[in-house]
Amino acid sequence: MVLELKNITKNFGGISALTDVSFKINEGEIFGLIGPNGAGKTTLFNVITNMFSPTSGEISFLGEKISGLKPHKITDKGICRTFQNIRLFSQMSVLENVLVGGHCRSKSGVINSVLRTKSQRKEETNSLEAALELLELVGLSKFQNSTAENLAYGQQRRLEIARALASNPKLLLLDEPAAGMNETETEGLFDLIKKVQKRGVTVLLIEHDMPFVMKLCDRITVLNFGKKLAEGTPAEIQNNQEVIEAYLGAEEDDEIA
Amino acid sequence: MLGDIINPYHLQIVSFILINIILGISIYITLSSGQLSLGNAGFMGIGAYTSALLTINFDLPIFLGIILGAVVAGVFGILIGIPALRLSGVYLAIATLGFGEVIRVIFVNWESITQGSIGLSGIPHLGRELFKTFKLTGFDPDMLGLKNNQFIYLLVVLILLLVNILLVWFFIRQNKSRVGRAFAAIKMDEKAAESMGINITYYKVLSFTQGAILAGFAGALYAHVMAYISPADFAYHRAIDILIFSIFGGSELIWGAIFGATFMTILPEALRFISDYRYMIYGVILIAMMAFRPQGIIDVPLLKWFKKSLKLKRGVSHGIGTKKYN
Repeated sequence: MVLELKNITKNFGGISALTDVSFKINEGEIFGLIGPNGAGKTTLFNVITNMFSPTSGEISFLGEKISGLKPHKITDKGICRTFQNIRLFSQMSVLENVLVGGHCRSKSGVINSVLRTKSQRKEETNSLEAALELLELVGLSKFQNSTAENLAYGQQRRLEIARALASNPKLLLLDEPAAGMNETETEGLFDLIKKVQKRGVTVLLIEHDMPFVMKLCDRITVLNFGKKLAEGTPAEIQNNQEVIEAYLGAEEDDEIA
Repeated sequence: MLGDIINPYHLQIVSFILINIILGISIYITLSSGQLSLGNAGFMGIGAYTSALLTINFDLPIFLGIILGAVVAGVFGILIGIPALRLSGVYLAIATLGFGEVIRVIFVNWESITQGSIGLSGIPHLGRELFKTFKLTGFDPDMLGLKNNQFIYLLVVLILLLVNILLVWFFIRQNKSRVGRAFAAIKMDEKAAESMGINITYYKVLSFTQGAILAGFAGALYAHVMAYISPADFAYHRAIDILIFSIFGGSELIWGAIFGATFMTILPEALRFISDYRYMIYGVILIAMMAFRPQGIIDVPLLKWFKKSLKLKRGVSHGIGTKKYN
């Protein structure tokens, strides 16, 4: 088991964004998190990475409690994320973005960097090689020297994935990776996430594109109004009455209409 | 021959330029992690007073005094930098400006030690002290065809130039490394930087402290070049001047701070012949600048263009540039 959430509750003032959410993610899975807008999916990501600390509940990663750790420590442990509203370092080059992603896998401080010691140069070469390999993976090699903000939207999403992968995560959190993509781009993204899975990275993703989620995910959890509504394989979720009601409205409503 | 060219007044201006460049770099470093500090005049004052008092009262060698001045300013940098983490943008600017004023007021009121607003005089002069050492070894500036005065100011300029080259080298290398990338990432998007595993507390305090150390260092050098300091030297107008060096020259690059400090130091001197209007012209240039080139004179595209045209002139291509990534 890679990630385990136990009874996570998150309140903002009087509003409960998440109530008693629990689930487990197995190693090597692609795990989907779906739900209507405002269901608390992104809040859950922010709680996992401790951008917000949970009001109550506990999160363990690879059997170790991580709730309460600082966000950068959590990245260091092996969880890295992308953002729903792309947050690249927009004035850096594409390559530099990925190099920053590898920050916690390198150590050189000020002195080593200024003196360019042997270990520092080796580390830089390794980071560079790793970054170039990741750009190859996401298909952005020929843009490596472009400024990140000049990339097309779909490319920026891919760059975010490459940047997150540079931290060598065991668990990758993707927040709506297919948002704003056309069909071809979504297909490319599908292949990319499968490739990421083959590298031994477990994936947790939020996505609204249902055909995409159903095709891609091994298991899915559905959130509605901050509560867990259902969990299961794509086939189980598609046939779950409660889920259908949450998305399409209950039967009675249909009759009135 | 050399004696005919060298003019102590010009040398004095050059040494001011070199000190101002260090101050410009001090704000550039703090800005490079996205922190706008107006406290660098305060740190400068701390460095200046520390070194001046130590050398006057305890006969410490100047070099040791300057280093201690920078260290003490650095300690204050850490003390201010940690609570300042909670602030950003204009709030940080106001808080650090307040800090600078507090320091100045302490210098004014702690009369038993700082002699209040009269200031400290009789600070050992960097050039003169070195000159004494040279004399002991039997060296006479006449051998170079120089008067004592010319030689002293020349020594100061050479030392400052060496210090400047070292500092620029240091920060260019730092900037091109993992540390520089972390600073830039924090400047562009703090939350994203944190999510990418960057310890933002550490790097923000680091850059703030580096700025404080540099400002303290420049302040200590200033004290030993002027041989006289008073609290008015470190008032808020100094903080603004330092900020203008970097903003005018271009705050994205270290070259911006260097250019800004050079230009802004020469300008008032060059305009001396129209004394009454010179600060008016200074103001107009600043306004025009903000209107037409808000990013500062030197920015990344300009630097790229410059490098390119330099290469074209040489007419040589340096490989295919496979290793170029930053």
